[in-house]
Amino acid sequence: MGGDRIKKDKRQKREDYRAAMRKEDISELPRKKFYRQRAHANPFSDHQLIYPPHPDQMDWSSLYPHYVVDEPQDQQTPAALPETAPSDHDLAPLQPKRISKDVEVADIGCGFGGLLIALAPTMPDTLILGLEIRVSVTHFVEDRIKALRAQNQDARLYRNVGVLRANTMKFLPNFFRKAQLSKVFVCFPDPHFKARKHKQRIVSATLNSEYAYVLRPGGIVYTITDVPDLHEWMVQHFEAHPSFERVPEQEQEADPCVGIMRTETEEGKKVERHKGQKHVALFRRLEDPAW
Amino acid sequence: MVLPYHLVKVCGNAVFAARGSDIHSFTSTLEYVSTWKYPAQQREESNGPSAEAQDSPAPEGPPAKRRRVEPGQGPASNGHRADSANGQPKSKKAALYDVPANERPFVQGLYATTDGRHLVAITGSDKTIWVFEHDGAGNLKQLSQRAMPKRPCSLALTPDNRTILSADKFGDVYSLPLLPSTTTAATALSSAPTPSGSEPPLAEPKSRSETPSTPTTTAAFKPQADELTVHTKRNLKALENQKISLGRRALQEQLNRPQFELTLLLGHVSMLTAICVGTTTTTTTEGNGGGEGRKVREYIITADRDEHIRVSRGIPQAHVIEGFCLGHEDFVSRLCVAPGGKDKILISGGGDDYLFVWDWVRGQLLGKAGVLEHVKGVVGQEAASKVAVTRVFACRWEAGTGVFVVVERIPALFRYELLSDNTLHHRETIPLPGNPLDVEAIETSSAATPRLLVALYPSEATEDNSTSSSLMALDKEEAGWRQSKVENLPAGGSDINIGETELQKILYSTESLRKLSDFD
Ligand SMILES: C[S@@+](CC[C@H](N)C(=O)[O-])C[C@H]1O[C@@H](n2cnc3c(N)ncnc32)[C@H](O)[C@@H]1O
Repeated sequence: MGGDRIKKDKRQKREDYRAAMRKEDISELPRKKFYRQRAHANPFSDHQLIYPPHPDQMDWSSLYPHYVVDEPQDQQTPAALPETAPSDHDLAPLQPKRISKDVEVADIGCGFGGLLIALAPTMPDTLILGLEIRVSVTHFVEDRIKALRAQNQDARLYRNVGVLRANTMKFLPNFFRKAQLSKVFVCFPDPHFKARKHKQRIVSATLNSEYAYVLRPGGIVYTITDVPDLHEWMVQHFEAHPSFERVPEQEQEADPCVGIMRTETEEGKKVERHKGQKHVALFRRLEDPAW
Repeated sequence: MVLPYHLVKVCGNAVFAARGSDIHSFTSTLEYVSTWKYPAQQREESNGPSAEAQDSPAPEGPPAKRRRVEPGQGPASNGHRADSANGQPKSKKAALYDVPANERPFVQGLYATTDGRHLVAITGSDKTIWVFEHDGAGNLKQLSQRAMPKRPCSLALTPDNRTILSADKFGDVYSLPLLPSTTTAATALSSAPTPSGSEPPLAEPKSRSETPSTPTTTAAFKPQADELTVHTKRNLKALENQKISLGRRALQEQLNRPQFELTLLLGHVSMLTAICVGTTTTTTTEGNGGGEGRKVREYIITADRDEHIRVSRGIPQAHVIEGFCLGHEDFVSRLCVAPGGKDKILISGGGDDYLFVWDWVRGQLLGKAGVLEHVKGVVGQEAASKVAVTRVFACRWEAGTGVFVVVERIPALFRYELLSDNTLHHRETIPLPGNPLDVEAIETSSAATPRLLVALYPSEATEDNSTSSSLMALDKEEAGWRQSKVENLPAGGSDINIGETELQKILYSTESLRKLSDFD
């Protein structure tokens, strides 16, 4: 009984705290302990996820409110529908408010958002999106971004970064069009040690085709892990995929994103404290061959 | 329990129809020719004792298990006779090794090569793909039987009729030669795929079932981390367990390994429900000669339970995703590329209230056509709130293109017309004396419309007429539709020991693809 009570109080506290954080104009940074969630979410199950049926129907305006384009409602033309289309069916769902830029950088499984926050000021004109499957972790990042935007209002920082709850293994093409992205980060992905669970790995021969689809030719996949075998796995699967080539080490080390990825991700910091190793590999999206 | 026919396939001049785990053949005028029976005994032998040893249930259910059959419980026949040994005492051996009829896997898909020379079938719980040679007159010769790593949901054949594309329950698409060559089977098993930058990993013959694309085979059997890299208790535990089970798992993998050529082409992280092949033809002006050439490109179109329709390049570039046809808001269960010069048009159906019409080459939605409204017309306004489309079948119809649609548990066939402007319109609802399960067209040179062959589950199943009425021919005549039962159907099928609920679960499985939306 006592245990129940404590649990409830704790949950109540957590909810109160998070409700308070959701209020507008909060500039206090969120505290992680109120947002923890169990470490794994099954990427195969039907979570109650919200995603657009088509990237054109994605409403980015709430994620990047500072980029909303003011345009008269009736000027918006429904995407890609001929006038002969039957009008009695809802062929053209309501068009979301438009923003002036497309997301170009995605952090797959962004966790608590360390990489996003560190990247944002280094590429202020590029929209960056974190995707995370765990709900409360996503809420943490949302609140973190909101607080940072409020704290840095004058410098106009962090307006270019956003986070979404999503299962990237299933729904990447719902959010991004073909060749929309220039950078995809996969930082310290869950290792799924057991062979039986390898299909759950976020890097695989078949999923790499989806990363190739959302990346433009010349775009880069950034990977980092502390698990040597996972590193090897990712290298093998990307190198063996005809749409990718490994970025040479010299070029890799010259890329400023690599340093940020090593030091600013939460997992990277944890590995640092444990004096573990970090294995980095970058892969370039090649042009599709003629056919 | 009397089983209805649940699949029909026109193959050259013959017609095949599946009932339970049997395939019956007919002439194009629907005279019964012969029966192929699921070879229970042979299967048991070919599997050997290992089938029982590795009895660990796969996520999607174990293959049909060997059970002792009580005398009189099921047929022990194993030949090509339609009649089972009714009333005859069964030999002890047959009784011991036969799979009880109700545990024999149902035929879950029938496919024919365009030349009509081969028939391909999927059986369900044993995940097997069967290839038959067809003599053109309805007689089948079984050529191969291949158990896939995961349960195939839908097959397609490449336009050259040489390769089977199998889309499975775990989201992967494999290619396998229609006619397996014995030599490759041996090499695929012994040679480990090696990592190589130049060779596409997705196009290497794979012999491993769990991680077909893993470029290493040796590394897969050593622990995936060492104590240094493991920094959570949970991971440490996983590592421990992994070490313990290594020996067992290596053995298991060895046993699970398919012994035939199998190539992983592409994959979704979602159950695949349909696969088809699309082609485009473009005229090209070639080099300095300036001669005109025709460039034919092949595509693989796949649909999944998570509303996606994906368009990939055909072999050997199936790893390249060309685009998606996105817009469904519930599962997609059927794909149909329009015939007769309209092959850039794809019609899809599933759990949504509409059929979707696509320009699949450009990934563009062209229009929708209502289904639910017409289902309400059959069962009443209140009785239907959602639909599960189970068939979308297109064929020549008068001067245009007819599209016939089957909806799960709805006793009618819906006819649509695809117009030259690519809009799809409902034309009529054809009431039927049972729920249709499948539909095909039999071309007749004389008539303006082909004859339709429908497999259906009769509404009132009575002992004597139900088998005969579960296969029905529909002819469009001036006065209306003439519905004729196919007569003189082979006996058998009434000795199957399966309950009504269980049977319905097999025959009506599409609605179960819908997601439950009220919990996380
Ligand atoms: C070990 S954490 C790494 C977090 C962060 N990238 C970092 O380096 O600190 C892996 C994260 O990926 C998330 N994740 C796993 N599968 C995912 C999926 N299918 N879609 C989105 N996120 C996923 C997990 O919830 C977890 O937060």
